[in-house]
Amino acid sequence: MHEYEAERIFRLKNSNQTNQAMKLIRTNPFSLNRVSDFDEWFRHPLAGLPSLSSFINNLGEVFPGVAGDKLAVDVHEDKDNYFASFEVPGVKKEDVKIELNNGMLTVSAEKREKDGEKESSYSLTRSVSVPEIVNAEAIVAKLEDGILTVTLPKQERSKPRTITLN
Amino acid sequence: MNTTCSPRTSAPATSGVTESLRKPLYNVNGNAEAFEIRVELPGVPKSNVKLDLEENILTVRAERSTTVPEGMKALHRELSPLSYLLRLRLNAPVSEDQMTAKLEDGVLTLRLPLKEVAKPRQIPVL
Repeated sequence: MHEYEAERIFRLKNSNQTNQAMKLIRTNPFSLNRVSDFDEWFRHPLAGLPSLSSFINNLGEVFPGVAGDKLAVDVHEDKDNYFASFEVPGVKKEDVKIELNNGMLTVSAEKREKDGEKESSYSLTRSVSVPEIVNAEAIVAKLEDGILTVTLPKQERSKPRTITLN
Repeated sequence: MNTTCSPRTSAPATSGVTESLRKPLYNVNGNAEAFEIRVELPGVPKSNVKLDLEENILTVRAERSTTVPEGMKALHRELSPLSYLLRLRLNAPVSEDQMTAKLEDGVLTLRLPLKEVAKPRQIPVL
């Protein structure tokens, strides 16, 4: 019985690598894991529902301009960092503003378009909720080929650590 | 010369190969001298853009660079990893050899000068 339980926890911890497995962890009464960081990104009331935002995004593909004021975002994670990538084609470095406020990362981009002689501009913005474990001081961003990538390093304490018994 | 192209040109059926492609956002401007085309290609490096002009059909094909290195896992995805394909039928002959292309900040800007025969001509009244 105990062996079985131990095996199950082990299995769940190992499968932590995939998103589906993270859902399992939340319902696992034996695990001390808190709610996965993944959820934290979107739990903030202002962050918006990811499903809704992807819907709006798809709508934008069908009717360009309909949802043009919201930036699409991808979030990736590796051992040490989170990466948020925003699509900002045609936006210059000096027209990008990134702000971290109360655990919300907000990216605003001013897009200037030249249509013959006419020049128009509009701004795009997006906010995502940032997990607490992010080291706010160490956030960096880079703009390349119309993709803005914000790198959010995890703080030391949240990296996996082995604790040995004395 | 305001209607410069047929914007409804859709992606052609690729010959036997099933490849998922999508049409990028684009904008065409025309004047008496040239077509100016702007195509939004975020995530595409210069080396991944292929341009082709054949019988008044301009084809822009662009592949996104794989931006996700090994060991990274996706937590949330909205950006499409699909490659871009845009085909435009030009309604005036252009000088192919004078075509210029520039890729900057994920936007491709094309300039296709019109051939002399296609340019408007002033006819003086005697």
